[in-house]
Amino acid sequence: MTLKRQLLFVSLLTLMLPWAGCEFIRETELALRDSQQQMLAGTAQAFADSLSQYREEFPERAESSYRVDDSLYGHPLETTPSIDGYFDDWPLDESSLRSLTSGDDPIDIVTGIAGEFLYLFVAVKDKNVVYADPGSMVRNAGSQHADRVTLVSSNPPYLEEQFSFAAEAPGAVVAILLSDPDFPPEPAIRSYWQDVPGGYQLEARIPRSLLGTHLGVIIGNTSDAADPITSFTSSTPGTFVTTSTELAEIASAVVQPGMRLIVTDAAGWRIATVGNLRTQSMSNATTVSNWRRFAYNALIEPGKEPALADPDPLGREQQPYVEAALDGRRLAAWFRSTESGRAVVAVAEPITSSNEMIGAVIVQQETDAILTLTNRGLASLMSVTLITMFVVAAILLGYATFLSRRVRHLSLAAEEALDSNRLQVDLPSSSSGDEIGDLSRSFGFVLGQLGDYNEYLRTLASKLSHELRTPLAIVTSSLDNLEHENLSETAIGYTKRAKDGADRLRKILRAMSEASRVEELMKNAELEKFDLATVVESTVTAYRDVYADREFSFEHDGASFPASGSPELLIQMLDKLVDNAVSFSTSGDEIEIALSLVNRETSLSVSNPGPPLPERMRTQMFDSMVSMRPHTDNKHLGLGLYVAKLIADGHDGRIRADNVEGGVRFTVLLPVL
Amino acid sequence: MAKCIAIVEDEAAIRENYVAAFTREGYRVDAYEARQPALEAFAARLPDLVVIDVNLKDDVEGGFELCRDLRSRAADLPIIFLTARDSEFDAVSGLRLGADDYLTKDISLPHLMARIAALFRRTDALSKPQSTENRISRGDLDIDTDRMSISWQDQSVGLTLTEFWLVYAMARYPGHVKNRQQLMDAAQAVLDDNTITSHIKRIRRKFVAIDEKFDAIETVYGMGYRWLSE
Repeated sequence: MTLKRQLLFVSLLTLMLPWAGCEFIRETELALRDSQQQMLAGTAQAFADSLSQYREEFPERAESSYRVDDSLYGHPLETTPSIDGYFDDWPLDESSLRSLTSGDDPIDIVTGIAGEFLYLFVAVKDKNVVYADPGSMVRNAGSQHADRVTLVSSNPPYLEEQFSFAAEAPGAVVAILLSDPDFPPEPAIRSYWQDVPGGYQLEARIPRSLLGTHLGVIIGNTSDAADPITSFTSSTPGTFVTTSTELAEIASAVVQPGMRLIVTDAAGWRIATVGNLRTQSMSNATTVSNWRRFAYNALIEPGKEPALADPDPLGREQQPYVEAALDGRRLAAWFRSTESGRAVVAVAEPITSSNEMIGAVIVQQETDAILTLTNRGLASLMSVTLITMFVVAAILLGYATFLSRRVRHLSLAAEEALDSNRLQVDLPSSSSGDEIGDLSRSFGFVLGQLGDYNEYLRTLASKLSHELRTPLAIVTSSLDNLEHENLSETAIGYTKRAKDGADRLRKILRAMSEASRVEELMKNAELEKFDLATVVESTVTAYRDVYADREFSFEHDGASFPASGSPELLIQMLDKLVDNAVSFSTSGDEIEIALSLVNRETSLSVSNPGPPLPERMRTQMFDSMVSMRPHTDNKHLGLGLYVAKLIADGHDGRIRADNVEGGVRFTVLLPVL
Repeated sequence: MAKCIAIVEDEAAIRENYVAAFTREGYRVDAYEARQPALEAFAARLPDLVVIDVNLKDDVEGGFELCRDLRSRAADLPIIFLTARDSEFDAVSGLRLGADDYLTKDISLPHLMARIAALFRRTDALSKPQSTENRISRGDLDIDTDRMSISWQDQSVGLTLTEFWLVYAMARYPGHVKNRQQLMDAAQAVLDDNTITSHIKRIRRKFVAIDEKFDAIETVYGMGYRWLSE
């Protein structure tokens, strides 16, 4: 993995920034929500305390007669519906219809209060609607066989009254007071029976003055005249819960914009609702872009749908936090819309009066402040994070490029120094104080050492030969003198062997000093202009005599190859190459010498069949005292190719060795005049 | 009366060996190990031939100094440098100071003896009247084998002993290519290719100094050299 990629990888750590930012925003939001809840709780508690004086406004319930499920809730109606047997014109939502499954078929029922009237709407599922016999109702209201709706009203401990609605045909129905069937019909009571597919609907209006505190509805269903079945909302009438205008007035003094105050009775029935969550500013925040919505969901603790915070359409608040309050505990709730980000904080507080819980106060507030803050925080977080990430990534990338360029320059310079053999060079970054500088200095030091070593190797041969010459002179002159002494036959043998050995030593010393002599000659050589082809041709002729057991071929395209330099030295170079070729080939092999023009350079090549060059030696083989020959052959000191290279270099040329098919080719490239 | 050879050499073993060899050949030998004692002795009496090592102990170029000194006092005194220093530069320096030969120490004793004998023969010949018997003439070239002197267009060419032998070997049979081995044998020395090349170059330069158009020595690449007669 390159340095650049590594640092890019590291730059991913900047992703920690948004994470930390999110944590911060989340914390802030929690703190804000907490404080808002505290505030709301304070408001709720103060309000609840003040409400405890208004005990009479809360529905009175005798313990025995109070059953929550039996209660009917009188929705406050803003407009008066017309009595036509249809629910459409009620200023209520369909969800306000309360479903009861008492009996065999479900019924939907809703009651409302507008002015002095109670409005009742009942939808009954009944496959077989049985109408009353015409005219029989007045006479025999109690036992008549017909489907009917009976409204039971009581005012405990007084007797109850029952208003029965049975139809002789769809249309307006005359209510009958069951306790007194002969009582003339109250003109204020109006009702209408509407047939609908699968049942019927009854809509009725009754003056509240005729009704007690407790109300119940009985659905009388009969399939034929002999078998009446009745279904009741309950066995006895339950409390009829109505809203309190006084409580609403008190509450409206407390409520603030964007806040909703709900007062419930002990069962959670809503008896006062004041205020509205929606403020003008909120409506602007309802459209939120997709990515921000995603961010909300990812960041902020999800809450319940804020729609759940709205007043219950059935009139009874049954949210857990309300139930907890009715249980005597205070609890806060948190609603948040994933769609719009709209959030609502709600707090419920029990109202107690003389140690008895009479109801609860619910305070809800739409958290405009939190939302805005979160919004702004998110937006700035995102932009700051994005910018930071790009900047950091760009800086890291740039820095990595800078670093890797320095390292690359250094490695290139070191390689170049190695290749060109100029080892005492100033490497890049060598003066900088960082680790790359250290590396560069170490490199420089190592290269310098290598250079010194190479120089030592280069001069070793000539120094050695120089130093050994005097002791060798002692040996040879002693042996020469010894020959003139009277020696025994065996001593003469020894002397001869010693002389042979000394002779060989001398040859070796000559070879060793050859390189330095060639260097010297090169320095003093007078440049001659000559035709390389002629020189090589005559030399090849000589080789045929010297190496009789090898074939020599000389290829050139007949043109002349004008060259400048020392022909003797070039021949010496060719000698070395041919000597090398001869020793790596076997008897009868053909050694090819070729002269050609390649890419504006004169190419002189010597090829011989034989074993390929070991790859690792390719660059070293032209160095001083490096031999590719097996160690058993110690006549060669590895100076031949070094001398050849010296001569090639001295003529501004290059020498290289390649493996070719079945053999080896040495090529010298010389500049064309 | 036996010829007197002075040898100035700091290496005792070599000195002793040469003294023994020269004595065996019938020469009288005076050996010195440093420049100063040698100079003092030469002030009293000059030897007939001097063999000098260039490097005398701490006196790195003592041999050259000695040679310059001697040459200023005796123009014809044969002087041979015998040294471990084989660089071209040293050889040229030594010969410029007027030495008759510059030899490296790996020369064998018989070869050295042959040179010394030749140098004595030349000294002897110089003291006798010039005879015409031992002269070879090849066009512009005249070789006096007794005096070991060569002249080109009647001008004497100052050659060292080695150079003389090389020219003599080539010019004796003009047109014949003499390869390196043959030249080495003629020069009574074991020389490597580069040394022969240097010698030939030096010889050519000396002839060219007399005659700019000199081109009688031809290089036969890969084989050797030959003398061209017109």
